[in-house]
Amino acid sequence: MNSPATVVNFEPRGGRRELAAPHSPPALLTVEGLTIADRQGRKLVRDVGFDVPLGGTIGIVGESGSGKSLTCRAVLGLLPAGLEVASGSIRYRNTDLLGLGERGWRKLRGVELSAVFQDPASYLNPSIPVGRQLTEALRSTLGLDKRAASERAFHLLRSVGLADAETVYRQYPFELSGGMAQRVLIAIAVSAGPQLLIADEATTALDATVQAEVLDLLDRLRRAQGLTLILVSHDLAVVSQVCDHVIVMRDGAIVEAGPAARVLGRPDHAYTRSLIDNHHRYGVEASGNPEERVAPLPGITPAPTPAPVPLLQIRNLRAAYGNRAVLDGIDLHVERGEILGVIGETGSGKTTILRSILGLVTPETGSINLEDQDLTLLRGKELRAFRRSAKVQYVFQDPLRSLDPDLPLGVSIGEGLDLTGRILPWQRDTRVIEALQAVGLDPALAGRLPRDLSGGQRQRAVLARALVLNPALLLMDEPVSALDSVNRIHVLQLMRQLAEERGIAQIFISHDLGSIAGVADRVAVLHQGQIVETGKAAAVLACPTHPYTRRLLESMPRLQDGHAAAPHLATFGIQEK
Amino acid sequence: MRVRPRPDTGLPIRIAFLILGIVATLVLAGPYLAPHDPLAQNPYALLQWPSQDHWLGTDAFGRDVLSRLLAGSRVSILASLLSVAIGLLFGVVPGLASVFLNRHFEWLSLRLIDALMTLPFLVFAIAMTAMLGNGLVQAMFAVGILITPAFYRVSRAAALSVVNSDYIEAARLMGASTFFIIRRHVLSKVLPAVAVTTAAMAGACLSIVASLTFLGIGVVPPEPTWGGLLATDLTTLYERPFGPFAPGLLIVATVWALNALADGLRDRITQPQEAQA
Amino acid sequence: MTLASPVLTPREAGLPSPAPAIRRKHWISRLRFLGSLLAIIIPVFLLATFITFLLGYASGLDPAAGIAGDAATPEMIARIRADYGLDRPVLIQYLDWMGGIVRGDFGTSWFNGVPVTQLILQRLPISLSVASAALLIGVTIGSLLGIGATVWRGSLFDRCVTIFASIASALPPFVVTIGLILIFSLWLNLLPSAGYIPFSEDPGGWLRIIAIPAMALSVDIIADLARQLRTGLVATLSENYVTGAIVRGLSPRRVLFVHVLRNGAGPALSMLALRVPMLIGGAVVTESIFTMPGLGKMAADSALRGDVPVVQGTLVVSILLVLLCSLVINLLLGMLQPAARRRN
Repeated sequence: MNSPATVVNFEPRGGRRELAAPHSPPALLTVEGLTIADRQGRKLVRDVGFDVPLGGTIGIVGESGSGKSLTCRAVLGLLPAGLEVASGSIRYRNTDLLGLGERGWRKLRGVELSAVFQDPASYLNPSIPVGRQLTEALRSTLGLDKRAASERAFHLLRSVGLADAETVYRQYPFELSGGMAQRVLIAIAVSAGPQLLIADEATTALDATVQAEVLDLLDRLRRAQGLTLILVSHDLAVVSQVCDHVIVMRDGAIVEAGPAARVLGRPDHAYTRSLIDNHHRYGVEASGNPEERVAPLPGITPAPTPAPVPLLQIRNLRAAYGNRAVLDGIDLHVERGEILGVIGETGSGKTTILRSILGLVTPETGSINLEDQDLTLLRGKELRAFRRSAKVQYVFQDPLRSLDPDLPLGVSIGEGLDLTGRILPWQRDTRVIEALQAVGLDPALAGRLPRDLSGGQRQRAVLARALVLNPALLLMDEPVSALDSVNRIHVLQLMRQLAEERGIAQIFISHDLGSIAGVADRVAVLHQGQIVETGKAAAVLACPTHPYTRRLLESMPRLQDGHAAAPHLATFGIQEK
Repeated sequence: MRVRPRPDTGLPIRIAFLILGIVATLVLAGPYLAPHDPLAQNPYALLQWPSQDHWLGTDAFGRDVLSRLLAGSRVSILASLLSVAIGLLFGVVPGLASVFLNRHFEWLSLRLIDALMTLPFLVFAIAMTAMLGNGLVQAMFAVGILITPAFYRVSRAAALSVVNSDYIEAARLMGASTFFIIRRHVLSKVLPAVAVTTAAMAGACLSIVASLTFLGIGVVPPEPTWGGLLATDLTTLYERPFGPFAPGLLIVATVWALNALADGLRDRITQPQEAQA
Repeated sequence: MTLASPVLTPREAGLPSPAPAIRRKHWISRLRFLGSLLAIIIPVFLLATFITFLLGYASGLDPAAGIAGDAATPEMIARIRADYGLDRPVLIQYLDWMGGIVRGDFGTSWFNGVPVTQLILQRLPISLSVASAALLIGVTIGSLLGIGATVWRGSLFDRCVTIFASIASALPPFVVTIGLILIFSLWLNLLPSAGYIPFSEDPGGWLRIIAIPAMALSVDIIADLARQLRTGLVATLSENYVTGAIVRGLSPRRVLFVHVLRNGAGPALSMLALRVPMLIGGAVVTESIFTMPGLGKMAADSALRGDVPVVQGTLVVSILLVLLCSLVINLLLGMLQPAARRRN
């Protein structure tokens, strides 16, 4: 077994090489002064250096654009076209990786170095059954014959937790779920017994429970095979759960690095501190004690007392796609001005609920009452008239795809106004500007195209489009899942603001417990088409009653920052109602 | 596999515009620039080589080749353009409708277009032209109908790529009618693609019309056309071996210029999308 | 470096494999795909033949001029038309004609009374041999150029291929044919410029005779295939699964042929399916220049003579050939890309 990483003297490396302590074993991978630039000379990775000790687990944390993925690609020799290493060196054991030719890489890739990435199914050839791809890798790296390779393949599939290996072997990538595909890729990655495994956002797109299982698998394999692991993520908690050492990157440079306990417990740099704070603010660190609840910050006005009749009432909603039941008798209600968070994993039916409200899905039975109108009965012209009344607005998940790329922002935002047909141009402009200001965007952006904006700005624009029509209820489908954590905070704060200052009710569906915990007043947990638990957010998250809720909470990666788990729920707006 | 970036010069486009400019001049002003009457026969000056009086010499009937070439530009080019217009008219609207109307129309129009694509292009064009009167109008109509599938498919593909987007669904959820959606969101995506196809089809039509006239279909002699001129030049190859060169070059150059224009348009359209990705 | 030893596989334990369920599922999906292809091809066949028939009907032509000559009176013409069944409603005539087609009877020529089927069978081998040779040459050279341009993209080879494709696409078929004749026949005096020799008579002569027409027809295919293949393959190179394959340490050759080609060749194959009608259509010109007794020339001559049954017969034959090729190529695509099967 390899020496534990705590013995190693781990220091961040700048341009100058600092000598390691004499008793520490040689590093497996050494990166020094790495600078990656594009053809215009713009530096995307600046002077990055670190040592990866044998048997260690290194976590690299950073937002999108921090350069963490590019660094890993450089290590693997997979920089995209147009980017190149301007200076620095990368050494694996004694081999200089930067000057390596095709032959040299073939000896290393798959055999000593390997990697898994985000969106696992896309990394498998869609036209070949996955088993054959695993066998192909085995035959290529280990030189096994067909029989031996397929036997080994079955072993490997089972050892990564795919019990029905016989079936999975013959399936195509599109027939696998995200978690299963990632397991297959991990199996391929470790098949030849490599020394170093790089996992670049390997669990980011996965549901919480699946994420926990995959991280657990990686940890198990690491210990069984003595793997050295580099885990890259934007999620601090994920990294802290698995890694001994943490490197924090921002804007292409290393901001802070060191043993995980130290970096997370006593961070030196302000940026690291802000990341940790953000996590706590919108994270879930529930304790078992419901009395220990954080008091609201002074100065926050309490939400208005709700009207006695709920704004939206869903009763016994049943829906199916073909003969597959998606919703199995849902009961939900939303009060005016409150945020209802619906937590569910992939396939739980949460999007179907939203789509039923606006008539995109016709339920089999059940009723959806907005004020006193049953929305399930609306068809054709009536449905269109209801949609035009703009009482309920829908916000999509991916802001890039929900704005027409060829239209300037001002046109897109005012689209709802154009549909009423009875608005004067100057009135329209005024309202568009009001909406932009309400979401915190500069009105001058109205003339820009979506691709000129950042992800956070785009999502605000989408919210502005919904707001310009003064809705009573917003339906948010994973509104922050595509955003990095900084923008996520801003949009969640905005949602809170809309609820409290303008009394706009919101249904917020997500698979990410963290975001929901931060803003929701009430919470409903959706599992396989049924609501298994519902109640005030604070209560449910502190004291879950249903086993599924409990499992969900346990799957959330916890930030190992040395503090005892404190009852940190959102410090904004969670009220006793 | 290492990638070396390819320098983007834009030279082909500039050459294409030059050629098309020349051709446009020929079409518009051709008959007025001709030094002689293209139909005037001169039995005393048959099959002559280039001279000061006849820059490209004369043909077997003593007619000035240069004048015939200039006069023929009009016929050949206009016939091609009209065919393209027919194809555009009959192709784009059904293509869009197939995406936004009901499934029955979609199925039927798709099968009809498939059927048109199954027909052997040149043979059917010849048959249609010859059997319906063997005139230029019939030829244009035949070619126009046969290129309809190209316009149908391109407008349908452009509309399909857009119809499932979130922003279309967002518009629907705000109560937009199909017409509004097409006007505001779909047309801006369809028109660029159709422009590319128009340029490409113009080149193809010219090629086809030249083939038809080469075979003597769809044109009544002694009316000059580029393809017809090429055919007659072949028969007099012995006397004037350079003969086929002029009409041949004109045809090839114009078709190439139109194709290059189409490629250039296509590159310009796909560029902003790549920047977004 | 050992893995934890897992449970014995069923095969090791001597038990039957539990995988038939997934195998069956995949076969069902293949059959369903074939079914969906047929559900398209049959209506298209009917529509295309109807359009062909409509052409003859709309032309208003009849055998009267050939039979009665210049002295034909309106009554004689009407009687001849009735004899030939040309006064019946269009749908009846169509069904009658189709009935014959299904039995293999394509009617009789109005010009010389010979059964159309016989005329077609005489000329089909000629046209087919040229078309097949052109397809073979086109696909082989086109693929080589396209793959080469991809592997060495950015190089001089790549640019040459692009320029060649660009110019070749602009050449109408008759220009190419004439050019090739000028080079190979008149200048180099290597190949003949007219006529036809059947393979059974003289294989060497047959090869020399079809060489120029086949090359002429293949130029279009080479140009389009090279271009489409290059575009498709280069686009596939940036897909994630190619990165995945590289990171696993597979050899570049394997990555190219197994992963890139399989998925990237799709658009090129579809384009090929569209080219086949042009191949059969473009043959008219080459057959005319070469005075080859092929289907295309017969169709053109008959159209000018107003011999409707022959024209219709030849068109139907080429429609059948095109649909057959389309079916084969779509099946091939379905086999190579099961994900596309599912989407359909």
